[in-house]
Amino acid sequence: MHISEGVLAPAVLTGGMALAAAGTAVGLKKLDYEAIPRVGILSAAFFVASLIHVPVGPVGLHLVLNGLMGLLLGWLAFPAILIALLLQALLFQFGGLTVLGVNTLAMAGPAVLCFHLYRPFLRRGGWWATGAAFACGASAIFLSGLMVALALLFTGEAFLKVAELIILAHIPVMVVEGLITLIIFGFLQKVRPEMLEAIYG
Amino acid sequence: MGKEWRSFLRLLKRLPVLGLGGLLFLMVFVSPALSHRVLVFAYAEGDTIHSEAKFVPDTPVRGGKVLVLEQGSGRELLTGETDNRGKFSFKVPKEAAAGNLDLKIVVEAGMGHRGEWLLKAGSYGRNSEPLKNLASAANRTAVQAAPGPEILKLESQALETILTRVLERQLAPLHARLAEMAVRRVSLTDVVAGLGYLLGFFGLWAYFKSKGQRKV
Repeated sequence: MHISEGVLAPAVLTGGMALAAAGTAVGLKKLDYEAIPRVGILSAAFFVASLIHVPVGPVGLHLVLNGLMGLLLGWLAFPAILIALLLQALLFQFGGLTVLGVNTLAMAGPAVLCFHLYRPFLRRGGWWATGAAFACGASAIFLSGLMVALALLFTGEAFLKVAELIILAHIPVMVVEGLITLIIFGFLQKVRPEMLEAIYG
Repeated sequence: MGKEWRSFLRLLKRLPVLGLGGLLFLMVFVSPALSHRVLVFAYAEGDTIHSEAKFVPDTPVRGGKVLVLEQGSGRELLTGETDNRGKFSFKVPKEAAAGNLDLKIVVEAGMGHRGEWLLKAGSYGRNSEPLKNLASAANRTAVQAAPGPEILKLESQALETILTRVLERQLAPLHARLAEMAVRRVSLTDVVAGLGYLLGFFGLWAYFKSKGQRKV
């Protein structure tokens, strides 16, 4: 999912930076004291997740966990992902500093979108919530793939072709992420229901 | 309902917990393999430049678009595509050899993945002078004239050319190996460092927030 340095046009880079900054500002505004540990933990999970290999497909893919971040953080996913991506760029050379904005937007944008999209169902509880948790994890990856294809559109790559390629390649990841999101949601329902109630109560 | 069935049900209820445990296990013990960084390297052998691209650690970039650029101006000298083993070979462009240009070899692997390699002018093309001419020239001189300083010079030139060729062939795998080793891989230290930074960062944040909240 990380776009490499030197691929995108300056206009796309600045646009991505501006939107990512706006999203981060909204996230920071919503951040209250109690949420900080949650943001920190999920930021750490995101940071490490990119090292977990899903050994299917031609390119070899890794987990992203942005659906889970959306589910548990909402707008706070922006600052959490931004910081994790910054560290990934510095320590792993994934992505890069100039692409930081675009990459943040491509991963945190779908997280926020999925949060709002699936919140009504997650609130209902029961099977609805279970299904929504899976869908949240899977569709966040799907939307991220679309965003990456959109960013590459301006470099002259044909949108439909790239989007198809990215999304087809990411189908295994979608399934795995859906399951992970579902499992963690179920786990929290059992162990820390008060945490979910704070978000979905 | 038998006892076993009930214990199976209990296991099912525990599934989320087990799943999370398994995930954590994966996170800790999965080897840090990263595969979406593109590594490009290239070396010269005679007047041919061999380039190879792969996703780190070891998946060849198949059908990646190769651009050979002039390092300074970014002018495109030639393009190509990697084969099934991620390799692409090309003759040194004439203008590059003539102008002593540094070559930047860029491989675009699709989906926003990209890698590049800089081939300095000094590392290719110095021996592009055809070997045969030199050798025959040396022969001719040897027949025509008695040994003198000139033929010595010619001979040593020919020898140097031959040696450079052989050395290049011998060193090619070594070059490839060096290029591979030059790539920084993700180590456990990086992972732990990153987690430490995150802990510190959010710790500090919480600290300042808490100071603001309850004023002493």
